Amino acid sequence: MSLRTTPFHSRTAPLSEGQAWRRWAGYVVASSYELSHDREYHAIRNSAALFDVSPLYKYLITGRDARRLLDHVVTRNVAKAKVGQVLYTPWCDTDGKQIDDGTISVLDEQTFRMTSADPTLRWLHLNASGLDVQIADVSDTTAAVSLQGPSAREILQLAAERDLGALKYFRLTSAKIRGIPVTISRTGYTGDLGFEVWVDSGRAVALWDALIETGTPYGITPAGMLALDVARIEAGLLLIEVDYFSSRHALIESQKSSPLELGLAWTVATDKERYNGQAALDAERSRGPEWQFTGLTVDWDSLEQLYADVGLPPRLPTQAWRASVPIYDRGGRKQIGYATSGGWSPLLKQYMALAHLGSEHKPGTDVRMELTVEHRRKQAKAVLTPLPFFNPERKRA
Amino acid sequence: MKQYDAIIIGGGHNGLVTAAYLARAGKSVLVLERRPRVGGAAVTEEIFPGFKFSMFSYVVSLLRPEIIRDLDLPRHGLHILPLESTVTPMENGNYLAAWADHDESRRELYRHSPRDAEAYDEYGHLMHFMARAVKPILSMVPPDPTSFAPGDLAGLLKLGRHFRGLGGERLHALVKLMTMSSADFLDEWFETDVLKATKSASGIIGTFLGPRSPGTAYVLLHHYMGELDGVFRAWGFAKGGTGAVSEAIASAARSFGAEIRCNAGVSKVMVKNGRALGVALENGDELRASTVVSSLDPRRTFLQLLERGDLPDDLIGDIHRFKFRGSSGKVNLALSGLPKFACMPDGGPGGRLHRGAVSISPSLDYVERAYDDAKYGEFSRRPYMDIVFPSMIDPGMAPPGKHVMSIFVQYAPYTQNGGWTDARREEFGDAVVNTVEQFAPGFKSLILHRQVITPLDIERITGLSEGNIFAGELALHQLFFLRPAPGWAKFTTPVRGFYQAGSGTHPGGGIMGASGRLAAMTILKNGT
Amino acid sequence: MKYDAIVIGAGANGLVTAHYLARAGKRVCVVEQRDVPDTSADIGWIPDVVIRDLGLSGAGLRIAEPDPWITAPLPAGGTLELSRDLRRSTEAIRRISPKDAEQWPEFCGRMHTLAGVLQRLYLAPAPDIEATDARELSRIAGLGLYVRRLGKQTVIDLARILPMSIAELLDDWFENDTLKGLLGALGIWHLKQGPRAGGTAFNFLHHHVGSRLGVFRPARSNMTQALSTISGVEMRRGAHATVLAKNGRATGVMLDQDGETIAAPLVISSAPPRATLEPVALELDPEFARAVRNIKARAVVARGSLSVGSPPPYSTLCIAPSLDYLEHAYDDAKYGHDSAAPYVEVQRTDGRVELHVQYVPPGQHEKLAATVAQVLQVQPSQVQLQPAEESLYHGELTLDQILFMRPVPGWSRYRMPIEGLYLCGSGTHPGGGLPGAAGRNAARAIL
Repeated sequence: MSLRTTPFHSRTAPLSEGQAWRRWAGYVVASSYELSHDREYHAIRNSAALFDVSPLYKYLITGRDARRLLDHVVTRNVAKAKVGQVLYTPWCDTDGKQIDDGTISVLDEQTFRMTSADPTLRWLHLNASGLDVQIADVSDTTAAVSLQGPSAREILQLAAERDLGALKYFRLTSAKIRGIPVTISRTGYTGDLGFEVWVDSGRAVALWDALIETGTPYGITPAGMLALDVARIEAGLLLIEVDYFSSRHALIESQKSSPLELGLAWTVATDKERYNGQAALDAERSRGPEWQFTGLTVDWDSLEQLYADVGLPPRLPTQAWRASVPIYDRGGRKQIGYATSGGWSPLLKQYMALAHLGSEHKPGTDVRMELTVEHRRKQAKAVLTPLPFFNPERKRA
Repeated sequence: MKQYDAIIIGGGHNGLVTAAYLARAGKSVLVLERRPRVGGAAVTEEIFPGFKFSMFSYVVSLLRPEIIRDLDLPRHGLHILPLESTVTPMENGNYLAAWADHDESRRELYRHSPRDAEAYDEYGHLMHFMARAVKPILSMVPPDPTSFAPGDLAGLLKLGRHFRGLGGERLHALVKLMTMSSADFLDEWFETDVLKATKSASGIIGTFLGPRSPGTAYVLLHHYMGELDGVFRAWGFAKGGTGAVSEAIASAARSFGAEIRCNAGVSKVMVKNGRALGVALENGDELRASTVVSSLDPRRTFLQLLERGDLPDDLIGDIHRFKFRGSSGKVNLALSGLPKFACMPDGGPGGRLHRGAVSISPSLDYVERAYDDAKYGEFSRRPYMDIVFPSMIDPGMAPPGKHVMSIFVQYAPYTQNGGWTDARREEFGDAVVNTVEQFAPGFKSLILHRQVITPLDIERITGLSEGNIFAGELALHQLFFLRPAPGWAKFTTPVRGFYQAGSGTHPGGGIMGASGRLAAMTILKNGT
Repeated sequence: MKYDAIVIGAGANGLVTAHYLARAGKRVCVVEQRDVPDTSADIGWIPDVVIRDLGLSGAGLRIAEPDPWITAPLPAGGTLELSRDLRRSTEAIRRISPKDAEQWPEFCGRMHTLAGVLQRLYLAPAPDIEATDARELSRIAGLGLYVRRLGKQTVIDLARILPMSIAELLDDWFENDTLKGLLGALGIWHLKQGPRAGGTAFNFLHHHVGSRLGVFRPARSNMTQALSTISGVEMRRGAHATVLAKNGRATGVMLDQDGETIAAPLVISSAPPRATLEPVALELDPEFARAVRNIKARAVVARGSLSVGSPPPYSTLCIAPSLDYLEHAYDDAKYGHDSAAPYVEVQRTDGRVELHVQYVPPGQHEKLAATVAQVLQVQPSQVQLQPAEESLYHGELTLDQILFMRPVPGWSRYRMPIEGLYLCGSGTHPGGGLPGAAGRNAARAIL
C-alpha cells in the first residue's frame, strides 16, 4: 500500500529528474520535474505550463434538485448561473465559517461538476435530505490538467482543432482533442491566461500525449506544485490548510475564518435563497469583518540591510514558503497579524506575502515582517499591497 | 522492628507506581508481592523455553505520560514500540484494515464505503475533542456529591464548569458517549458493519457487555486519548512485553530507595482502634508502617485484608454489590511460523499484517452472538479475539524464525456453567484455535505449545477477583465517585492510615498507573 | 377562517396543548389523520395540574385503579397477585419467597422516592445545563438542593440506579424469578433493550412516575375520550398534515389528500419529530437534520386485542417468568426476529381485553399470532395484533434520549429552529407514557 498515482503517472514519472514528489489528497504528484522549479515557473508567465491537477476531489451532481442543493450549500448564487458557466465559490457552516472552496461547472441544466480541496461527498449528502438529486464521486474517474500561460490558448486551439477565442473567462465548453471528448474550462490557479481540461481517466494518457505533441513547438512545459505555488501567490489566491483552515478541522474558534475575512466577499451573494451560513454572514457583513486577507511587499532595501549587517548578501527563499510569520506594526512592537504564504516573485522581482491582518489596516500601510537572519530574529519593512500582485490583461481577454 | 513510612500490598503496576512516588518524596517504602515476580497482570514469563509471553495484558494502553516523565521510565528500560495497524478478516474473505497512514486508511475505508471514509475524519475530529474533555477527569480525585465539604463542593463546581465550558455540541456528544452502546453510537456515523464491529469490540473489552449494550460507547474514546499523548506513544507494545513496564516502574521505585519483596503474601492488615499499624504476612511475620496501601482489588482490600468489624455495614454491602464478573480469557501460543490469513495471504506489503493487531470481529452480530453465549453462562463458541504477534514487533520474544501469538479472547465468563474444569479449559482453547483456523487455514499445524488462561486462572494466579482484568467492571454505576463504593472513592478507607490504590479505584483499569499516582498524591497530601 | 395556531395530532399531548392555548385566547385548529380517536395510548400518569386546569374530571375522566394491579403465573402452578395495599402484596410475596417479602416494602419506598424526583423533573421543561441566565441556573441549583435534602441515600441511588440495568437492580434486591420478571418487564417497556441493558432501571422508574407506592404498572384511563368532549378548539379529522415553512418561518400546514393549506403563524406538532421535520429539512441546519434522522425510535411492541368469551378473572396478566426469559426474547429481536418466546401482557379494560407484546421488530410476522396464542394457551384466531412500524414513544427512552437530549440534543424546549414551529408529543420531554405532560410543558413554553 502506498500513495495512489494519477492517471497521468505513466507520463509524468519518467519526467522526474530529481524524484521530487509530494502528496496531494492521497495521490503522489510532482513537486517539480526538473531539478529546480525555476524554468517551470517561467513557463507559466512566458509560454505554457502543464499541471496534473487530477487529485482534486470532483463530484457530479445531477437531478431535478441539483441546482437547489448546490445553491443551498455554497455562497454564490447558483440559481442564476447559466449553462456553460463556472463559479468559483467557498462554502460555509451554519456560523458562516468557511469549510472549503472550489468550483462549480454548470454542464447542463441538471448536471453540475463540483471540485473541492477536501472530500465533500458526505457534506453534500447531509444537505441533500429530501431532495431529488444524485451525487456521484467522480474523483477517480475524471482526470484533469491545467494549461496556463500566454501560449495556452494557441496550443489548445490547435489540439482541439477549433477556435477558442469566444471562450470567456470562467466559462466552459466541450470539445474533442484527437477524438477524445473533453471539457475545457477557462479557469486556473495562476491568475493568468489558462485553461483546465477535464477528461475521462481512461483517456488521460492519450490527452497528455496530444497536448505535449501539439504544444512542444510552443514551449509547453510540464510543471509541478512548486512552480504553481509561486504563481498562485502572485495571483493572490488562497490555499486551504495554509492560508486558512477548514472550520471542520479547526481545533479552536480562532482557527476558523469566514469568506469575508478571506477577501472573498465578492463570492457571498446577497440576493439568493436560504443557504448555509446566510444569517451569520449577513450579520458579519453589516458589522464589518474583523480580519482581512491582503498582500504585502517586503521592502528590498530594508531586507538587504538586515543581511548586510551580518556581512551576508541577501538570502531569499528559493521556494515559496507556507508557514505562519508574525506581522508587526511599523513600530515593530505590536503584532497585528500574520503571513501564511510568501516568496520571491521572479517576474515582479519582489518579495511578496499573503497575510491576515485586522481590517482596520489600509493598503499602503507600513508594517514589519519577521524573519530570521543568521539565527537572530529580525524584522523587515513591508508595505500592505492590494491583491492580486499580478493581474495581466490576457487573463480575461 | 523497623517501622516503614509506607507498606504497599501488591506489586502490580499501580502498587509499584504508588511506591515509586512515595519513595521519590523521601518516604521509606516496602512493597510486598505474593508471587515470585512483580507485575500482577502485567508480567512477561517464559512459559515455554525460548518463548516469552505477556501472559495476561499484552498492550500498554494509556500509560500516563506524567508517570513516564516523573519516574524517568525510559532510563529504567521502558521502550514502547508502535502497534499501529489493525486488520479485521471478514467471513467472505475480504478484510478491513486500519493503517497508520491517514491517506492509506482513508483509501482502505473508501473501498468499503466512500461516505464512511469521509465520516471517519469527522468522527475522529469529534472524538479528539471528547478525549480532551474527558482526560482531566482521569487525573482528578473524584469529588463526593453527597458531601457538603468545601473541597468536594469546589471539586463539583470545577467539574460543572469544565462540562459547561465544552459547549453544547460537545457536551451532548459526551452524554451520548457515556450512555449509548457503541453499536448505536457508531450507527450514527458509519454504515460499514465490519468497521462498527471492530470499533465496538474495543468497547467491550473487560466488560460483561455486548456492543449493543448501553455504556460501551465510552471506551471508543480510549484510542483518541492515546493519540492526545502524542509523542509519548502511550498506546503500543512494550519491548520485552508488559512485564518490562512493571520492571521499569519497579526499577524506578528502587532507585528512589523503595524496597520490594517477592514471595511475601500479606494475609491481614493489622488494625487497632481504627488505625492501621502494619501488615501480617502469610508466613506469620509482622511488619509495621504508619501508612498501608492496598493495590489489590476492592473485594480483597476490604473483605479479605480487614476484619468485618473494621468496616461500616453499608460499605461492606456496597463492596459485595461491586461487580467483577470476569469475562476474558487468554490463549498464548508458541508457533513454528506465521499463520497465513486467507484475506491477505501475503501478509500485506512489508508483512505489515503481522506487525499489527488482527481483530476477529467480522460483524456486529458476530460479536453480539459471542456475548449472548456468555450471558447465559457459556464461553463464546465463536469468540471475539484481539491477536498480536509480539515476536514481530520485538524479535527477542521468540527464537529466530519462530513466533509467539497472543490472543485476548472474549467471552469466557467466570461463572462458566459447570465450572472451569481442566476439560472445559481445553474446550475453550479449542474453540479459540478452531475459530482462528477458519480465518487462517493451516494455522493449527504451526502450534508448538499452547497455554489457555481462563478467568479462574487469572484469579488464581494474579489474585484479581473473578478474573476481572479491570479489578471491577468499568460500568457507569461503578465509576468515578462510585468506584469502588459511594463515599469511598478517594483512595482512603474507614481505617485511618490504610489506603486503596489499583484499578479498582478511579480511574479504573488498563495499564495507566493513574490510580497508583493519585493514591500516592493523596497520601502525601494527607501526611503519612 | 384565520387561526392563531394549528396543532397536528389529536392524541393526549396534542389536545392538551391545544386546549391550553385555547384557554389563553388563541384560535386553535387541531388536525388529526385518523377518523376516530385512538385510545390505545391512554396509559400512564396524567399530571394533576392538567386534570385541574382543563377540568378533565368534569369531562368524565376516569383513571383505572385495578386491584390486584398484576397477576403472574407461578411455575409450580397458581399465581402471584400484587395489590395496591402494600401489606397484602408483602404477604403474597412471602408465600413464594420470605426473603423477598422482607425486601419489598423498602424497595417500594426507595423506588417511589426516585420516581418522585423524576416526577418533579417532568412537570417542567428539561433543565438546561448550558444556560447562562440566573433564573434557569437557580432552578437547577434548587433541583440539586431538593435532591440533596431527600438524603444521601437518594443521591447515591440516583447516581447508581439511573444508569443501571433493571436486571442488576432487581438481582440486588430479590431472588424470586417471577417477581423479578414482572418487575423487569416494566424496565424494557417500549425499549429495544433487554433487562440486562444499562438504562432499563431508568425506564422502570419512568414508568413508575405517578403511580402509587408499590404499584408498578401505569394506569389506564379514558384521557382521549374526556379531552374530546371539551370544547374550545376546532377539529379536522381524517386529514394528514405536513408542516409548511419558508425562509426559516413556519407558515402553516398542508393537508395531504387534497393539498388544501391552512395558514397560521404557530404550528405545534404532536407527531413524531422525524416525520414532522423531514418535509422541511431544507430549512434546517444539516447537522440538526442529521440529529433528527438519528433519533432512535425502533419499534418493538405489537399491540392488539384478545377475543374472549367472558371477561378474564384478572385485570392485568403478565407473562414474563424471569429476567432471562425477557433477555432471550430480546436476543431474538436483536437479529431482526420476533421473539420466539415473547413477553405478553394482557389487560382487561372497559370491556376490551388488550394485548402488549414484546419484542416485535419490523419484519415478517407470520408466526406471531400463533406464538402469542401458545404463550397464553388460547387459539391463534383469538389473537389480533398490529405490530408498530415505529416506536409508539416517538423516540426510545434511552439515557441519551431523555431530558435535555430529547428530541434533539439542545432542543428540548419544544421550540424548533424554524420560527413558530414547536413539538409537543411524546417525542419531547418528558417522553412517552405520560399523556399530557409534554403537551402542557409545550403549551407553557409557547405562551
